[in-house]
Amino acid sequence: MAQSSRSPMTETLHRADGPYLDVRDLTFAYAGGPPVLRGLSVGVGRGRFVALLGPNGSGKTTLLRIVLRLLAPSAGEVRLAGVPLQRYPAGALARRLAYVPQGTTSVLAFTVLETVLMGRSPHTGALGFESAADWHAAREALRLTDTERFAERNLEDLSGGERQRVLIARALAQEPELVLLDEPTSFLDIKHQHAIHRLLRRLVGERGLTVLCVSHDLNLAGAYADDVVLISEGRVAAAGSPVQVLSADRLEAVYETPVRVRLDEATGRPYVLPMPEE
Amino acid sequence: MIPRLFTARRYVLSILAWVGVWVGVATVSVVVGGKLWTWDSPAQLRNVLALRLEWVATAGVVGAALALAGLAFQALLRNPLADPYVLGVSGGAGLGFILASLFLSSLLAPAFGFLGALVTVGLVYAIAQRRGRLEPYTLLLTGVVANVFYGAAIMLVTALARPAERGDIALWMMGNIGAFGPQWVLIGVMAALVAAVGVLYAFLAKGFNLVAAGEETAGSLGVRVGRLRMTTFVSASLLTGAAVALAGPIGFVGLIVPHGLRIVLGPDHRRLVPASVFLGATFLVLADLAACLWEGASDRSLPVGVLTAMCGGPFFVYLLRTRWRRAAEVQ
Repeated sequence: MAQSSRSPMTETLHRADGPYLDVRDLTFAYAGGPPVLRGLSVGVGRGRFVALLGPNGSGKTTLLRIVLRLLAPSAGEVRLAGVPLQRYPAGALARRLAYVPQGTTSVLAFTVLETVLMGRSPHTGALGFESAADWHAAREALRLTDTERFAERNLEDLSGGERQRVLIARALAQEPELVLLDEPTSFLDIKHQHAIHRLLRRLVGERGLTVLCVSHDLNLAGAYADDVVLISEGRVAAAGSPVQVLSADRLEAVYETPVRVRLDEATGRPYVLPMPEE
Repeated sequence: MIPRLFTARRYVLSILAWVGVWVGVATVSVVVGGKLWTWDSPAQLRNVLALRLEWVATAGVVGAALALAGLAFQALLRNPLADPYVLGVSGGAGLGFILASLFLSSLLAPAFGFLGALVTVGLVYAIAQRRGRLEPYTLLLTGVVANVFYGAAIMLVTALARPAERGDIALWMMGNIGAFGPQWVLIGVMAALVAAVGVLYAFLAKGFNLVAAGEETAGSLGVRVGRLRMTTFVSASLLTGAAVALAGPIGFVGLIVPHGLRIVLGPDHRRLVPASVFLGATFLVLADLAACLWEGASDRSLPVGVLTAMCGGPFFVYLLRTRWRRAAEVQ
């Protein structure tokens, strides 16, 4: 497993050029509901693998939807590469930022290649004509995710793990700088969970990609992320290296469940064990 | 691996091929349907030719409009069974059209047809969506209810109408081409509308593909989903309203044509949009020709809407068994 320097988030935040994705004091409430985000601030450094953790309803998905501009915050600001999010034209934003959903939801039977070529959409013209460059980008994305041999198959005929790799390939074909993932491995078995995370780890290392991955799995986050952001009730409860953030006291407070945290001897990374109540 | 990329060259070639197909089919339809080899006098030939040309032109623009509207509704509502007729949009247009032509003026009738279509799309969408997500079952059931309601309302209007008007309304409600006298102006307006919306959809086709893959995904790939939805609903309602004004509510063209094409071309809307325009036009010209030949053989007129519905019913069942499960599972 690739190991990278684990500088705390706070260092990233105070770097002169600022974090690549800079979320400042976000506040948001759904119409008629209580606030979901209450002054949330997160910084994601360029070329980092950041895991976003938190209990159900803590505001993870809402934050993701604000960064995707599907929701508008009632207060606060999001900056990407130093520029406020709302200043980006839709196409320009899509060339910097890609999104990988939890699973596929297409009602139409697109093939794997067609799906990955959709990632070229922000790069093609208004009528969507594809060039050799688009084909090369798609092929490179297929190669990186090891999905070339499925290219002509229907996306819906693949297994869950294969499909998730294709969705990552679509995001890579977009040639973004930042990839947002919404619980990309929650429906996968342990083999595919780790395969996807190793792939992300490798893309961060080799391609300089920045990854923000929303997750429910404390151990996957602890094992693969450079930085972990733990949010609770719409605020950041802790941010920093996995060892700093994933402490038993803090997790027990946020998840209201007794846990034990150990360090893996080989990697020095933390893992979390829930404790059955006596 | 050799990819089948979507290139400008292939696009232009396919459109040229489609134009050729349509012109060929239209010519055959004019000649065969008009029995132009049996004319007695040049004057008779001119009359028959003029009439056949008008019917073929009507069938062409109406077929193209309904196929485009069906394709657009299926993409934006993320439902393979969406079609102007099934959703009750044609019924809404029909009610608006009939009310306006009975109580206002026949000049205003097409505008009210459009209004009826637009109101129905808005209602069906508002009822079937919950927290921004469309429920496929509710969507279709809403369409069923809308159809029942509009059917009853039109029957009420028919019952209250003068006896002379009743026959006309009944004939029109079956979906009929060429039953209502010369209307080259309407045909011209409609042809311009079909061309404009066809070009518009060619530019929106990328977005149709992405919306079918999910709204979050579409948004993250640069599609403005809200704007796309609004533009599409309004333009598809315009198409439906105009088609109904010209030929009555002809059903199932919007299902048969796009799905027939998907079987051959795959699900990519960039290919489906131009193909739907031309296959829609070709399909209804052929249906009109069949109706015309039937009339020649039996001396009874056969409304073309009856023919399309006879094909559409079984096709709907086929779609229900093959394409529906995916849509119902996804949402």
